[in-house]
Amino acid sequence: MERRRRTEILINGNKNVAATLAQQILAKYEVKTIEKPNNGLVMVKVRETAKNSLFYLGEVFVTECKVEISGYIGFGILKGHEPELAYHLAVVDAAYNAQLPETERWNEVLLKEEAAIHEQRKNSFMKILKTKVNFETMDV
Amino acid sequence: MGYVAVKGGTIAIEESIKRLKYERLKKGVVLDIGRIEAGLRGLIDQVMSESSLYDETLAALAIKHAEGNLEEAVFLLRAYRSTLPRKHYSQIVNTKDMSIERRISASFKDIPGGQILGATTDYTHRLLDFDLMEETDEDAVNWLSAYEKEMLDEVDEKHFGKLPKVSDYLRKEGLFSECVMDNTEPDDVTRKSLTFPSTRSQRLQVLTRGQTGAVTSLAYAVIRGYGSLHPTVGELRVGYLPVYIDSPFHSFNREDDAYYIGEIKATEVEMLIPETVEIGDGKKEIKFEIGYGLCFGQNETKAIAMGILDNSLEKGNRDYPTGDEEFVLYHIDSVESTGFISHLKLPHYVTFQSKLDIVRKSKSKQEM
Repeated sequence: MERRRRTEILINGNKNVAATLAQQILAKYEVKTIEKPNNGLVMVKVRETAKNSLFYLGEVFVTECKVEISGYIGFGILKGHEPELAYHLAVVDAAYNAQLPETERWNEVLLKEEAAIHEQRKNSFMKILKTKVNFETMDV
Repeated sequence: MGYVAVKGGTIAIEESIKRLKYERLKKGVVLDIGRIEAGLRGLIDQVMSESSLYDETLAALAIKHAEGNLEEAVFLLRAYRSTLPRKHYSQIVNTKDMSIERRISASFKDIPGGQILGATTDYTHRLLDFDLMEETDEDAVNWLSAYEKEMLDEVDEKHFGKLPKVSDYLRKEGLFSECVMDNTEPDDVTRKSLTFPSTRSQRLQVLTRGQTGAVTSLAYAVIRGYGSLHPTVGELRVGYLPVYIDSPFHSFNREDDAYYIGEIKATEVEMLIPETVEIGDGKKEIKFEIGYGLCFGQNETKAIAMGILDNSLEKGNRDYPTGDEEFVLYHIDSVESTGFISHLKLPHYVTFQSKLDIVRKSKSKQEM
């Protein structure tokens, strides 16, 4: 699974998923920490829709971490102070970059979690849709 | 009187700081950060927006530290932000990707996707709810449980929280001019000081991190007569924007190689401003312009005000102070304005004494 999609699932989903996948790698391979989880900023660049130009909206506080497995670097980054999850994301990323055989079996877990996120978001949006205005035209 | 250098006050300052802590703790009750995050959403959003730093927990901590003093909380966060490295820039965030929680238009009744009120105080009676005096955590859990059980209508999977922009719909009708994509790298006022004439990216950045009250007051002045705009809210949306960064290890990145870092809550507003334009042969027609507002959190009044000031500054009519970019942009930043005004209470003994000396000298000359 591509990185964009799997990081969405691992960050939006249950934190245990990233922990479980990372644990499979940590139990079997030597994982070297290059950069311990630490805090920093990501500047958000946006496109405004009046003139279609770009500007900086502000910065997001993040935690990031770098690890290495067999010469392959893994990078974990997410919003907020989340050192444990950042580390697990980095381990999972390194496992994919190193094309470790374990990653071939992860699709099923990730797709299941993605479906759960989808269901939860759908329910949440359905709640929001209850606030949709149903206009009635009056006879004057 | 000559210049006299003085020192001292260290013990008094230490005791003053202790006194500040006493004021925060004197009732023997400590505010829990989680409770601030859970219950002070409006304040947190305002602090994040004005400090230009997105993190609910840090904002809650700043609010606790500052005892709810907004300008102090913003100052604390700005100061903390300056200690952190900026490690990455996001990919371009497109607000069409916003997961909508609220979306309305004051200009058009029928908009694609409909008017979704979401969570708003717009239609509430402003009657103080005294029942909240007795509200407990258990009450909250019970209410949430009942809310979860309410029946839901099936939703069209196609939309699923992402709705088309009202302005796109109007552009198709030819009511707006088409704008080509402008990919000019934005300026960053936190790295390079604002200069005049300002660029559009500088203006929008200063407006989005502006003090809510200042931005709102100046926009109000535009409508009241110290400006020439008659705007309407074309679209206001509140929701979550996904943020991605490119891989820091590759110079060329495929879209699927991006790292997702999470979502940020934001308010976006497109103000519709009618403008009479010459179309030749002495004929005129009315076209619409957009004033643009976007800020962290659910800060609707500020986003609307930002849209009004954006258009006012784009026009740059110096007949009005609100068309003067130097007047607007130099005075709406919370830390700059509150910092300058509040510094006036710090010792100015030498400055004031020198002024006093001048007055005394001129008086004694007059008496001679």
